[in-house]
Order: sequence, then C-alpha cells, then structure tokens
Amino acid sequence: MDWSILSWLLSFFILIALIGIIIFQLMCLADLEFDYINPYDSARRINSVVLPEFGTLGALCFLFLISGHWFMFILCLPYLYYNARMYMRRQHLVDVTEIFNMLNWEKKQRLVKLVYLIVLVFFTIFWMIWSVLDEDT
Amino acid sequence: MASERPGPSTYPGRPAISPFTAAPQTTMPFLSSGLVVGSEGSGYRANTPAGFNGPSMSSPPSAYASPNLGTYQRFPGPASTQLISSANGPPTGQPVLLPPVLPSTGQHVLAPPGSFHPQPQIPSVPMGQPPQSLNLQPPRGSFPSSPLESSFIAPRPASQSSLHGYPTRQANLVSQVPPVQSPPFLAHQGGYVSPPPLAAPVGLSSREQMQHTGGGPPVGGIQNLVEEFQSLSVGSAPGSIDPGLDFKALPRPLDGDVAPSSLANMYPLNCHLRYLRLTTSAIPNSQSLLSRWHFPLGVVIHPLAKAPDGEEVPIVNFGPTGIIRCRRCRTYVNPYVTFTDGGRKWRCNICSLLNDVPGEYFAHLDATGRRIDIDQRPELTKGSVEFVAPTEYMVRPPMPPLYFFLIDVSISAVRSGMLEIVAKTIKSSLDELPGFPRTQIGFLTFDSMLHFYNLKSSLSQPQMMVVSDLDDIFVPLPDDLLVNLSESRNVVDVFLDSLPSMFQENLNVESAFGPALKAAFMVMSQLGGKLLIFQSTLPSLGIGRLKLRGDDPRAYGTDKEYAIRIPEDPLYKQMAADFSKFQIGVNVYAFSDNYTDIASLGTLAKYTGGQVYYYPGFQSSIHGEKLKYELTRDLTRETAWEAVMRIRCGKGVRFTTYHGHFMLRSTDLLALPAVDCDKAFAMQLSLEDTLLTTQTLYFQVALLYTSSSGERRIRVHTAAAPVVTDLGEMYRQADTGAIISLFSRLAIEKTLSYKLEDARNFIQQRIVKALREYRNLYAVQHRLGGRMIYPESLQFLLLYGLALYKSVPLRGGYADAQLDERCAAGYTMMTLPVAALLKLLYPRLIRIDEYLQNASMKIDDFGKFSKSLPLAMQSLDSRGLYIYDDGFRFILWFGKMLSSDIAVNLLGMDLSTFPDPSKVSLSERDNEMSKKLIGILKRFRESNPYYYQLPQLLRQGEQPREAFLLFANLLEDQSCGTSGYVDWMLQLHRQIQQSA
Repeated sequence: MDWSILSWLLSFFILIALIGIIIFQLMCLADLEFDYINPYDSARRINSVVLPEFGTLGALCFLFLISGHWFMFILCLPYLYYNARMYMRRQHLVDVTEIFNMLNWEKKQRLVKLVYLIVLVFFTIFWMIWSVLDEDT
Repeated sequence: MASERPGPSTYPGRPAISPFTAAPQTTMPFLSSGLVVGSEGSGYRANTPAGFNGPSMSSPPSAYASPNLGTYQRFPGPASTQLISSANGPPTGQPVLLPPVLPSTGQHVLAPPGSFHPQPQIPSVPMGQPPQSLNLQPPRGSFPSSPLESSFIAPRPASQSSLHGYPTRQANLVSQVPPVQSPPFLAHQGGYVSPPPLAAPVGLSSREQMQHTGGGPPVGGIQNLVEEFQSLSVGSAPGSIDPGLDFKALPRPLDGDVAPSSLANMYPLNCHLRYLRLTTSAIPNSQSLLSRWHFPLGVVIHPLAKAPDGEEVPIVNFGPTGIIRCRRCRTYVNPYVTFTDGGRKWRCNICSLLNDVPGEYFAHLDATGRRIDIDQRPELTKGSVEFVAPTEYMVRPPMPPLYFFLIDVSISAVRSGMLEIVAKTIKSSLDELPGFPRTQIGFLTFDSMLHFYNLKSSLSQPQMMVVSDLDDIFVPLPDDLLVNLSESRNVVDVFLDSLPSMFQENLNVESAFGPALKAAFMVMSQLGGKLLIFQSTLPSLGIGRLKLRGDDPRAYGTDKEYAIRIPEDPLYKQMAADFSKFQIGVNVYAFSDNYTDIASLGTLAKYTGGQVYYYPGFQSSIHGEKLKYELTRDLTRETAWEAVMRIRCGKGVRFTTYHGHFMLRSTDLLALPAVDCDKAFAMQLSLEDTLLTTQTLYFQVALLYTSSSGERRIRVHTAAAPVVTDLGEMYRQADTGAIISLFSRLAIEKTLSYKLEDARNFIQQRIVKALREYRNLYAVQHRLGGRMIYPESLQFLLLYGLALYKSVPLRGGYADAQLDERCAAGYTMMTLPVAALLKLLYPRLIRIDEYLQNASMKIDDFGKFSKSLPLAMQSLDSRGLYIYDDGFRFILWFGKMLSSDIAVNLLGMDLSTFPDPSKVSLSERDNEMSKKLIGILKRFRESNPYYYQLPQLLRQGEQPREAFLLFANLLEDQSCGTSGYVDWMLQLHRQIQQSA
C-alpha cells in the first residue's frame, strides 16, 4: 500500500466527517425553522460542533500539505481562510438571540460549505483512483 | 379584477354596494388598462376623505351642472386649447376647479384672454372654498385647497382623476375609459406647469375619439374621482430664479400624530388603531405591486395600550367550553368569522376552514345570518377582547408578580444620591405594586462584593450576607432572598429605610456587575419576574467586565464603526437569552456621566422585553423627580408576565421580520418575559404567493400572558384590511406614523451592523424611491414638471424622515451625540409607541408668555389658544417664553426681551441677572402665573405619561447650553452640516427627479 493512496483515503474520510458535521448543523437549523426544537438547544448543538469542524478542516489542510498535494491544499485554503476569519472576528458561533434573523444566512453559508466539500470529495476520489491506477501501471 | 377590489376600500359602509350606481361600470373599463392607469383606484375612493360623504358633493356638479360648458382653457399658451366637446353629454367631467379660488396673487393665470372663456356656469363650482391661508393640510376633499403664494400649491385634484388629459396615456385607454377627467389643478399654476406642447391637439382628438368611440354610457357622471396628492413646486418654475420653497408653506405635523381613520371606518369591527397600525391600509395583491411600494409593509403593535376609560378591553370567559379557535390555524374566534349551517358551523376568516360550533356555544342564526346572541358576545362584536385562558394554556401555575432589584452601591451611586432616591421610591411604591397579596420582592446590592439580604418575615431586621468570591458565585441562602411582600412588609420597609445609610460611607469604586447579574439570575430563575438594574459605573470586576472602549472619533466613518454600538462581551447576549428563557424581564437604569457602555448593558433589556432608562450625570437634586416618576411608573404600571405574542394573518402572507424588544422563540413567536403598556412592537410582512386572491386580509395578534392578579389571559386584537391591485391606493392609504415607526426601528438596527451614514442613507433612499414611484404614477398625467408630488397621507413623511435623520441615534458622527446617549436613545426608540415616537421626532414648540400674562385665560382655554410652532429659529421671538416638549423633557426658553415680571413670577428672581439658569429649578409659587405654568406642564405630562419631562430652563443667548439643548433640536434649521427642512426637500426632490 502506497503512502499516497493512504493519504487520499484518509483525507476522504476526513472530508466525509466534515460533511457529516455540516449536515448536522443544517439539520439543527431546519429543525429550528420548523419549530421542532427551541433556539437554545439548536444554538447549543450547532455551537458544540463548530470548533470540531474548524479543527477537522485544519487537520485536512495539514494532511494535504505534508503529503504534498499542493493542488488540493490550495483548493482548501479559501475555506480555511474563511473559517479563520470568522473565528478571529468572533462570529463563528451562532448567536442564540439573533438566530432567527440570521437563519437564512446561516443556512446559506452552510450549504455553500457543503457544496464546496462535495466538490473536494470528488477531487479526492479522482486523485485516489488516479493514484491507484498509477500504482498498477 | 374588479371584483377583487373590495368594495370596502371605497366606502365606509363595508358592503360593496357603492353609493354610485355607475361605479361598477367604471371599474370595468379600467381593468384591462391595469396599472398603466395608475389612478384608476381613485375612482372609487370618492369618499374616503372625510370631507366627502355624499356621493359627489363637490366636483361633479361643476361638470354636470354645466354639461355644455364647452371648453375650458386650462393651459396658458398656445397649444393649450384642450377642448372638450361635450357632445356626448356629461361624461367629460371636467373639473375646472380653480376659478373661485383664484388667488389674488397674479401668478395664477387662468384662462388667458383669447382662448376659451370659462362659461358663466363655472362659478357654480361647488368646491370653491375660500382660499385658505397657508394652511398646508388642505382639508381633504376641498379643492384647490390652498393656493398658497406661488410656490406651494396643493392642487389636490381632489375631485377627478385625471388620466386623460394626456395623449400618450390615452391612446390605450381610449376605448376603455369613459370618465373623462382632466387634471384639475393646472389652471392656477400658470407658470409652473410646463405648457403641453402639441399635446393638446392630440389629446383633444383622442378625447373626442374616446367619447365617440368609447361609446359606453358616460359613467363618469356621478363618480367622484378623488385623487389625493399634494404637490410642492420646487423651484423649477420656468423663469423663476429663486430655487427656494416657501418655508412657511411646507407641511408640518403641528397637531401631532393623527392616525388615519379610513380603515376604521371601512371595518368598524377592527380593533382600535391604538393597538394595531398598518403602514398602509391597503395590502398589495401581488409581489410585483409590493416591490413598487418602497416603504416597509408591516404593522406596529401596541398590545397593552392604555385604553381611555369606558373603552377597556372586555374580558371573556368561556368557562368549560374552552376558547373557540380554528382547528387548523388556531385563530381565535373574532368578529369576522361567519356562522353557517344554522349556527352549527363557523368559518374561520383567516384560513376559511369550516369548524364545528361546540354545543355550549351554539346559538341560532337570525334571518340575516347573525347569531341571535351576538349582543352578548363581545368576542363577536369587538376587535379587541381578552380571553381567560384555561389550564391548557399554562406550562406552570401562573407566576406571581416578582420584582428583584439589583442596585449598585459603589461610591458614585451614593454620591449622586441615586441610592437614596431609589430606596425611597421603591418604598413609596410598595403599596401600589400590582398583584397584592402574591407579589414577591428581593434585593441584591453590589460594589466589589455582592450583598444578599435575607428578608424573612420572622426577622425584625434584614440580614445581610456578603459574598466576595466573584469567580465562583453561589447563593448563600436557598430561599428567603425572594420573599412575599405582604408577609415581609416590615422587614422590607426597614431594609429600604436603612439602605441609603448603610452605604453612606462606602468608598468602593469597583463594580462586580457580571457576578451580581449571575447571582440575580440564580435567585430568580425559579419563578422569573422583573429584574431592575441600577448601575452607575462601568462594570469592572469579574465576568462581564467591560473596557472603556469608549467613543473613538477615529472609528466613525470606518467599517468598524458599528462595533462600538454592539455589546462588547458575548456574555451579555448569553445572559439576555438565559433571562428570556427563564421569564425574567430586565429594565436597566444607568446613571453615570462617564461611559457606562449602554450598548452592552442595554442588550439585557433588548432581548427580555425590557427598557433602558438613562440619566447622564445623575444628581438627585436635579434628576430626582424624573427618576422617581419613571421608577414608580415602571413598578406600578400594568404589566403582563411570562407572555408570548404571536400574530397570525391570512394565507399567502407571512410576517418575516420583527423589530422591538423581545426574543424570538420560534419563527413567529415573540417571547416577552414582562411586557407592559408602554411597549410597542413592529413587524414586516412579505407576500408568499405571487398573487393574493382574497379581497380582505385579516390580522390577529394574540398575547398570552399572566396578569398581575394571577390569571392566565389571552389578549386578542383582530383587524381586517382590503387587498388592492392599485399602487396609488396603497399610497393613499398609507399611515405615516406606522411607516416612520418601522423606519426608525430598521434604521436603528442598521446602525448595529453598519455605519451611521448608511443607516441615514437607507431612510433617505427608501423615501426617494417611494416618491419616485409615486411620481411616476402621476407626473406624466399631470405634467407636473418640476413639482414634487406626494400623497396627502404622506405629507409629513418627509419631515419625519428628516427628523429621523437628525434623531439622536442616527445623527451626525462622533461629536453630535455621546455614544451612551446614542445607544440609550436607540433602545428607547425601539420600544416607543407610534404617537410618542412622532412626538419625540417632531416635538412641540409653544409660546406661552401671552397666555401667562392674560389673566382671563384659564387652563381649559389653553388648548384652543396655543398653537404649535414650526421647529425653526425663526419661530422664536426674543420677547417670548417658549416651551419645547419632546415627551422626554421640557425646555423653557426665556427670550432676552421677555418682560421681567414673568421671570420673577415664575422663578422668584430675574433670570437675566442670575448667573446660571441650569441651576434654577421650577416650582410652584404662590401667584397666578406660576400656577398656570405648572398647570400647563401638568397637562403636557398627561399627554405623554411614559416618561417624566424634566423642565430645563434656558435663557436666550446662553451658550453653549442653548445651542446644545435647543438649537440642535430645531430640526428645520440648518445645523452643523445637516440640512434644514427646505434643503432637505430640495435634496430629495433632486434625487427623485434624477431618474424619474
């Protein structure tokens, strides 16, 4: 087993985890919108996974960096930068008092992230297959 | 479409039976022309304006009485021979309005010689009202109301809609539009109306064509097309050099807030306007129409507004039947539901579901389909009722009224005298606290430590417990910190008596506000209630400590500017959310003259339905009365506990944004831990469906709360509004007060995430867009050239817009208002009811010296005698004494040449010799004049009971106080870089024209 394939595989799973986190947040927001849970619980649940999300993404970038996948690393950078900026501005957490006013924005932001991650997943799969084939030949 | 236009929109009587037989016919032709016609709606609106009751008192007669008038010369100039051959008879209701009113100023050219002469009959024109001086609010329905001197003409073409003078427009209307009406106002405007070049002939022909080809019976006949807009000629008069407006002629809301009554007339079953006001009483039927209405579409709700005696909201108890509600949409039964099937079913007016009538509630219907017991059912006859809620509406037993006081006892609080006044006021209010004998009360004081008080009824003296560990806060006693007031009354009295002296010698300057807040939360979280915070320094210890981030002049104008207006520490938002969750409402009283970060402290009030009181530089000798009154009012006013509010509305429409002090618990549920009769809320509507198919839209506000007496109640306000297809109608039915209220809230919210300038521009842009749209509706038809036009309903909007522009939360930049003051004013304006807000924006300025000197005038005459003056420097006369009243304070301005006996009588000394008028206090003296003045102040206070108006004395020429206190508030004047009223109008007008 090649190091390269292993790294692709690892990053694939990390990506899936990220997607899972984002979908979880989206579900919380949707539940809130349809009044299944109250804003306090919704905000608490979302906020509890925001930092793990950021950390996981950081780990992914780091993985790309040390495994030398420059292209993927650069692809991840905007997302990382965005997260870092939100964190610096202390806007990364959902504000329970304004959650309803921000609902659309929060959802949109997470949907964009989701699409972004899915694109990354496709790239990763592509590279993974590529490196498998590469190894065979 | 015709049928969509609800009859009611036109006539007071709800049923769509129009007084005019011909009306239906008229509508039809317009239909296909759709919005092009812009003013089609006006056709029906004949008598919305108060003036018109009869079908057509005013204008038509002129036309009809003289069917053969032949022609009128309307435009000076060669091309203006618009002749209307009335071969067809009446239809050409050509309202030649003006003749009788011809102003004597030579500028209004009427029918220049050489063209057609008005026929003798013309004078029969009924609406000839004597020219009214410069009163800008032309009595509705009167004609050319005020031919003001030259520049200001309010040509309310009240009588006739006009579309047809204009060839271009007509072309497509020709066959459809029988009632030929002409733009009425032109004649007297001579110079301002650009003469229609070439237009006339075409117009003529098309008009004839219309009459001949259109063929249909002339329906315009009885119809009294009223079109209401006012216009202001803004300088572009040909040949006129003076770009100015007539200052005196500009519209001013000198009568204060006047709620539009048309909706109430149309739907007499609606709740009173004091509870619910729509920004326009005509709901657009489509999104495209809504997008052309550039004002916010929404409501301002004041659910617990104080009703005058005799109009109290009736209380209904359904007993074991349970409250009658719609199965599907949960609407409460209201006057607009209809009973069918012999009274066994009722149809919900909001979702039109057919519901069963419970057996106990059944009553037979009479021949007209009304329930026979309707007279005994207030919920079916009144727009506002209060239901007694059974246990299903309770999550827990109704809570007792609970007051918890969190009092700063650091050195500044003691020195300023705040502590003493607070203690005394609380003590004096104890008897009037609502909810006796269940009321609970508790106290916590803090400086660098927290002091808890055991007020157990068995004690003779309160016990004080000091907690100095701020990192790990705990409550030293599980109970007895909150006690039942009636049981522990003696201990509480002793405590309040000794409180000021206890801390007399306190030299502590620190403030452990955050920990104290946490502790208060722990004490209160069992029951909820009202938390009153008295804070006189910046929180400096423990969690929630705030920095002197202060007012940085460099921050203004940059993108970071907003950051100083939002809470610095996320703890405050978090605490506010927790308070709201546990039904705790917070009122903040802040006293420091230094920076106390109201932006952060106020957040606590913002999300808990509370209120911020700010007394900069508090000194008990000066501000004591104010604090006393406001605290007493806060403690004793009608309060609704653990409340939630929801507003429902018909299908296809949804409330999307909410503005005010509350927290949203779900998308449309406002959580209000403690709400009282001084709070108003605003919300905006959006259309979900592209097209509304109903003719009437219903709104229902329901406030579920626990009354102070411990009863769970639901206060329900129901209102209906017509759905219209016409933009002009929306503008006509607009409610300036509600629009301004929403605007102010939107703009203040904007300052929390953008620059002040952006917030101001936002208002200006919206006004400009709206008026541009309105202009596009009418300008072409009326050839308004360089005139500024606006609907009569919005005549004061521009001025209020300017007032908002200059209001404390939005004005200027760093130097124009202190940051704390700005934030406090912002919080206050977010809760103010409409009338109080308008008063704050455009205060009253009244001259009173004559009244005081004239011994024969009694206080009762004062209302008749006194007149509000425009808020401009030129209203001030140095021989006079003026009161400026904005609902929050009185400023008494003593002119330099004011006869000295007034000052001596009022103050006991001659003001001109006294060095510092700010130190002079006003109290009743034993003479007629002083008594009269106090009487006036009392009367003014009654009209605005929310706050105490502290009189401040000001002598003319006393700088800088004068400039700061009064001149900065004379908003019609130019002051430090902001435009005056005239400039503002010109500026708006230019912008409106830019792409009009």
